[in-house]
Amino acid sequence: MLSKSQARTFFLVGTLLFSVLFLFLTIDTVRQVPAQTRAKNITPAVARGKHLWDQNNCMGCHTLLGEGAYYAPELTKVYERRGAAWMDVFLKDPQAMFPGQRKMVKYKFSDQDRQDLIAFFKWIGEMDLNGFPPRPSRDLNAGLPAQVTPPAPPSTRADVPAPRPTTQPSSQAATRVGAAPQVAAAPAMPVKFQQLCVACHMLGGKGGRVGPALDGVGKKYNVTSLRKWLEDPQGVKPGTAMPKLPFTAQELDQMVAFLLAQK
Amino acid sequence: MKFKSQKVAYWFFAACMLLLTLQLTYGFIMAFAHMGLDGLHDYIPFNAARATHTNLLVVWLLTGFMGATHFIIPEEADRELHSVPLAYLQLVSLLVVGVVAIIGFHLNWWEGRKFLEIPRPLDYLVVVNVLLFIYNIGMTVWNGKRFTTTGIVLFMGLFSAALLYLPGMIYFTNHTFDSYFRWWVVHLWVEGVWELIMGAILAYLLIKLTGVDREVIEKWLYVIVGLTFLSGILGTGHHYYYIGTPRYWLWIGGLFSALEPLAFLGMALFAVAMYRRSGRQHPNKISLYWTVGCAIMAFVGAGFLGFAHTLPQVNMYTHGTLVTAMHGHLAFWGAYAMIVLAIITYSMPLMTGRKLWNNMPGLLAFWTSNIGMVGMTGAFAVAGIAQVYLERKLGLDFMVVQKEIEVHFFGLTLAATLFSVGITLFIYNFIKHGLPRDEMVGDQSLDAEWVEPHQAQTVSAAPAPEKSTPKTGKKAKA
Repeated sequence: MLSKSQARTFFLVGTLLFSVLFLFLTIDTVRQVPAQTRAKNITPAVARGKHLWDQNNCMGCHTLLGEGAYYAPELTKVYERRGAAWMDVFLKDPQAMFPGQRKMVKYKFSDQDRQDLIAFFKWIGEMDLNGFPPRPSRDLNAGLPAQVTPPAPPSTRADVPAPRPTTQPSSQAATRVGAAPQVAAAPAMPVKFQQLCVACHMLGGKGGRVGPALDGVGKKYNVTSLRKWLEDPQGVKPGTAMPKLPFTAQELDQMVAFLLAQK
Repeated sequence: MKFKSQKVAYWFFAACMLLLTLQLTYGFIMAFAHMGLDGLHDYIPFNAARATHTNLLVVWLLTGFMGATHFIIPEEADRELHSVPLAYLQLVSLLVVGVVAIIGFHLNWWEGRKFLEIPRPLDYLVVVNVLLFIYNIGMTVWNGKRFTTTGIVLFMGLFSAALLYLPGMIYFTNHTFDSYFRWWVVHLWVEGVWELIMGAILAYLLIKLTGVDREVIEKWLYVIVGLTFLSGILGTGHHYYYIGTPRYWLWIGGLFSALEPLAFLGMALFAVAMYRRSGRQHPNKISLYWTVGCAIMAFVGAGFLGFAHTLPQVNMYTHGTLVTAMHGHLAFWGAYAMIVLAIITYSMPLMTGRKLWNNMPGLLAFWTSNIGMVGMTGAFAVAGIAQVYLERKLGLDFMVVQKEIEVHFFGLTLAATLFSVGITLFIYNFIKHGLPRDEMVGDQSLDAEWVEPHQAQTVSAAPAPEKSTPKTGKKAKA
């Protein structure tokens, strides 16, 4: 039968032993983390981005590395999923990007701030996280339509394992370059389309599910209506979830031409 | 109440009630936001509500622990508190820091690290505050007429909690290191040294309420806190699966956090066994409910539900989803909120002399708050599992999934309403007790039929072997 002094010994010895073990493992972890997290890529911009992340308590809504609150999307792979261009537009005015939806505070980020945050997310996305986040076993949003113009590569990294063809998340497709020839004759897919539009719209069965699919959109609308819609979605249809995206005149022309070709 | 300075505890408990009420309010704000009713967004954005909700929890629990300490330590050390003015100063300054921090959250002033959102300048004030507290309690224990295991374990718990606040104040540029050492505070608090505090309060209450020999209970206290550290220290590894730390944490964290429920199981079995063995009936039934209920709910919430998503294979999918909120709510309620409410229900009649211990509001408070909290846990569980399946298995977009699970937050709100009714009744009873009275000092008639802890300790040598026999079976299980 255990006596009180034996119980005390059990407590003291156990605590001491496991504390020492924990410290030993911590020392080893501290040695390994820089390589595993690609710490050499922590530029001043990344450090400033992390500071912004903390200063604004982004973790109070989002998760990063799976840590945080559960009100807003997990951001570990956001760079890979959305790309720098989308993130830049989004961070300027988050609510404009998702009108009428769950709100994010409109922070007054400077151009530099946004670039720093994007650099921070890029660095986070490149860590070796022992397999997190898991790949969905069945991806309903699988893949993107192939593009003719290769985008500015958001995440072409040597250490990414080759994506499996069938279960590929939409985000990964951003790195693939023109695989399907069906749009070869049509106007090339604008870079901005691939950076922004597919976050919400599907084309060829691939893309987001927030807005309607864009297949056949060229049959329903003409140049004027499409242009008007892109220039002022709320003016055409008040309350729509479609944001007004910051296109230059040239980009708008390309976009309209591309959409008109989707017969 | 034996000593006059124990009255200090009342004001700590009153602060607890206030902070708890505020915490619930912010919980509702978040539940409504999850349903799409975010009308307060411009004034209280979700991250402010969230930081306020969790920080209030931490502050009210700490205030409760401090109140409990001020009540328990004089009795265990058999002397008055070292300094009563210091205790009041410490309470007031703690509240001031808390209020400033919460106002700061609403003005986007914080450090933004989950659970440690308090801005750095205020961190230093917290440190000073806790040092005051530790000094006051330490001096009381040091100059005490006797040293009991319960008193020492309680003091050690508080002292280590203060020490472990420090790793959270180191600045790292590497986000992984930041997280790694943040968990030293958060995990080693709630799954480590706080359990020491909880175990000590539990032991104190069981000694008082069941009349079982102090030696028997304190021996078990050692076994339980021993199990806590045996599993809990390396169990920190379950936070190190997927944050950019080496792979070996997957099996170390998995193995040791699988053992973590043992400490809570031990606690539950121990409380129930002591309850069964209590020869006499203590008149304060409600307090016994909260005490034994705490041990059981701690096992369910912290032990069982924690285990449910702690294995790396499962955690890969549940990490960073509402499943964590499910575990978090019942764990904090069972392990820490209930122990504070238990010591409040135990000590209030002793401080005020009003025997509101078996009245209807008290009983209803116990049952409705517990049923409400179980309901909330259920709502989080369903929402969390649906989220995991739709988002992590099927790959649906986060916001699409959130729309799908909005309905479960309606269920959550209903259960939370029930829970709030229970808490309201508890506070109603608290207020009805009135203020602590000086006539109660030295009046031990309410505990009269009990063996004085003093005597129990000295007399214990003889009957100990006989009394401890029924526990062999339990030991094997633990």
